[in-house]
Amino acid sequence: MKKVYEIYIKTTPERLWEAITDGEMRSKYQFGAHITSDYTPGSRYELGHPNSFVLLGEGENLEVDPPRRLVQSARYMYSEDVRREGTSRITWEIEPVGDSCRLTVIHDELRDGGDEHIYGGWPMILSGLKTLLETGELLTTPGSLMYDTPSRS
Amino acid sequence: MDVDEDDRVFRALADPTRRYLLDRLFARDGRTLTQLESELEMTRFGVMKHLRVLENAGLVVTRRSGREKLHFLNPVPIRLLHDRWIDKYTERQVSALTELKKKLEETA
Repeated sequence: MKKVYEIYIKTTPERLWEAITDGEMRSKYQFGAHITSDYTPGSRYELGHPNSFVLLGEGENLEVDPPRRLVQSARYMYSEDVRREGTSRITWEIEPVGDSCRLTVIHDELRDGGDEHIYGGWPMILSGLKTLLETGELLTTPGSLMYDTPSRS
Repeated sequence: MDVDEDDRVFRALADPTRRYLLDRLFARDGRTLTQLESELEMTRFGVMKHLRVLENAGLVVTRRSGREKLHFLNPVPIRLLHDRWIDKYTERQVSALTELKKKLEETA
């Protein structure tokens, strides 16, 4: 199964690339989760959280073409249900459009009828990413504070 | 999200046929025009017109797969509306309930 998410963000491809790959910036709009990697092609990345002793997820950077395209495999471990879903694939595509960028996130190689937790968060993550890049602020809607972390307050 | 974008999304959602199309894609994503058409009592041209409105609002995104054009539900604009218009107004209710809970627990 494949899911496609698209959003327009008023920013440059370079800043958008940084916001996606930089662990500190990422944590500001992805429920506090930190991503760690050196982003060389074929390298590994880890998704962790300061409040969690275990890794939330991990995968490989299959294609790294800054600031245009990043393809990653993804395995999630934060619950038994998501662990059962195995490995899926996430493709980030950045395309400049006028003074903005179109960001497309394609999450595919998903199991049909699988646990929607592993892709259901994308709209909230992308909305937070847009707010961060366009206003420099964090989303403070109740939904976005669901997994509040000390770094937010 | 600017006002024009908000308008396009609200207008696209203000039609039962278009909401039905979104529901069909929610149930099963990545469908062709022919597949979507078979679930509606409407001409192919009519369905195409509605899909175009949804595409312009960013609610439907198309990707090519071989010779087929597949339609995907993009819920992101709805999330943006939610963050901009809905969460903002429900926030007070949520905090009011939190207050109430605190008061009740204090007196208990």
